[in-house]
Amino acid sequence: MFERFTAEARAVVSGAAEQAERTGSDTIGEPELLLALLDRTDSPAAAALAALGLQARRASVADALAAVRRRGGVSAADAAALAGLGIDVDAIVASVEREHGVGALAGGAPGRRRGVRRRFTAEAKSVLERALRMAVARGERALGDEHLLLALTCGRGPAAVVLADHGVTHAAVLRVLDADGGRRAG
Amino acid sequence: MSEATDLAERAGDRDPRVGLRAVAALRRLLEQLEAVQVRSARAKGWSWQEIAAELGISRQAVHKKHGRR
Repeated sequence: MFERFTAEARAVVSGAAEQAERTGSDTIGEPELLLALLDRTDSPAAAALAALGLQARRASVADALAAVRRRGGVSAADAAALAGLGIDVDAIVASVEREHGVGALAGGAPGRRRGVRRRFTAEAKSVLERALRMAVARGERALGDEHLLLALTCGRGPAAVVLADHGVTHAAVLRVLDADGGRRAG
Repeated sequence: MSEATDLAERAGDRDPRVGLRAVAALRRLLEQLEAVQVRSARAKGWSWQEIAAELGISRQAVHKKHGRR
């Protein structure tokens, strides 16, 4: 699958693994992919995010993602949906943390299991698959980091929620990518 | 308006999107809850066989999923 990835897209994937190692997460999920994407400079995705004003708000995005991880992958929007079913996610997190320590649901402690090969979550795998489909749909030969950004924004996972709360929606990313492509073509 | 408040408002409208989203979120939470409980059982010296029996899955399945930690 990775043979069609550009060097920038590969850097996001390996950066996500490094993020997981740094935070001690046992798996590589959407939050790690998004954090790695935000680390990129001088790439199509970095240009799109800069155009949408996100680079300056990186810390705020990282905080929101940390909150998602502490809730075991549940975003604020997910927690609201679960409240509709009578499930109080904050109460679950509080009781698990009382017994197993703060950050227990975030999956591991920082610095643990260094050098261990972590697996991608099903959600992160589907981001990669969606990105590939998007590159194909846009008639682009290679999968770049902008396709990873498009895939993250059109999903239903925590990354899309956090990005949307920071003004980065799928439509907004498409708009800046197409504006940039138009300039390059012209 | 943030997506969270938007969804909270729609929760009363029987919008299928809210219910489906809740299920997907619960699945993510469940994965993490399972990881926490398995780690804790291992730390207390439980065997994979004992953990698998409580989870109602095979020893191979639980080891494949959690064995590397």
